[in-house]
Amino acid sequence: MTWHSFFNMSTMENRHLLSAYATVLVIQAGYLARVAWQWHRTRAPRR
Amino acid sequence: MPNSPIRDKINPMEQRSPTLRNLAWLWFAIAVAVLVVGFREAIFLVPSDAAQGDVGRIFYYHVPIAMWSLLFPYLNFAASLAYLYWRNRDPLKALTADAFALASAEVAVVYTSITLITGSIWGRAAWGIWWAWDARLTSLLLLWLLYVSYLMLRRFSSTGQTQTLAAVLSVFAAVDVPIVYMSIRWWRTQHPAPVFFGGPDAGMDKSMLPAFVWNIIGWGIWGIFILLFRFALERRRQIADQDAALQAIEASLEIPQ
Repeated sequence: MTWHSFFNMSTMENRHLLSAYATVLVIQAGYLARVAWQWHRTRAPRR
Repeated sequence: MPNSPIRDKINPMEQRSPTLRNLAWLWFAIAVAVLVVGFREAIFLVPSDAAQGDVGRIFYYHVPIAMWSLLFPYLNFAASLAYLYWRNRDPLKALTADAFALASAEVAVVYTSITLITGSIWGRAAWGIWWAWDARLTSLLLLWLLYVSYLMLRRFSSTGQTQTLAAVLSVFAAVDVPIVYMSIRWWRTQHPAPVFFGGPDAGMDKSMLPAFVWNIIGWGIWGIFILLFRFALERRRQIADQDAALQAIEASLEIPQ
């Protein structure tokens, strides 16, 4: 498989493969971004 | 109050934070590097599945993440038991256990959600349907619902016993994990047979192993990273709350009588 065929949306098989991998990466990156955002919004403890 | 013994006791992680931060960045870099290798193996190097074609490559993300999704509920279970044990004996340890329970429940929901969605996407291409009410899919959906309930209870309950109620719910939720694991062994299901520990026909072709192993290691390292990051966030919140409470007490003590 190549990058070209990975992003080829002409068949259902390829669309489902791409959407499955995209779902995984979006959910994981989204969750990490949410935690990082809340980390920066939470006041660091005083030293 | 820069050197308060009370604050030192509730916040022992504070002094180690630069080292921890460097370690966290290193761990994150390792996770991304391993996942890049896993992606390359799964998409570009492993040959297409003879029966399923390229859609079979979903396996390399779906199965490792599904396997990890059954571990995080046990971490939540252990942390909840620790909370229940310590809540009257040592409240500071109980708070730490509670933070870990919350973090592991969130990561369990993330991993279970991905398992359900990628499985459904694969099912539509392989079976022609998005969903089947078979034992594996239904028990995993129940597990997801239990941990979503756990998080909603923690988010919206306004009683003073929220953490205790959540810990008790977690103990019951953990019962579903072995049912999910055994469902494809106990009952005939539409879901494929187990890849590992499933009898003489179980296992995978040698050509599939590198992609599978890189991804199971990669998603494991990643899962531990987001779990500890979420735990650190919850500890930071708890310490900020305790700081605010201590400041209020100190301010009240400084008022001249």
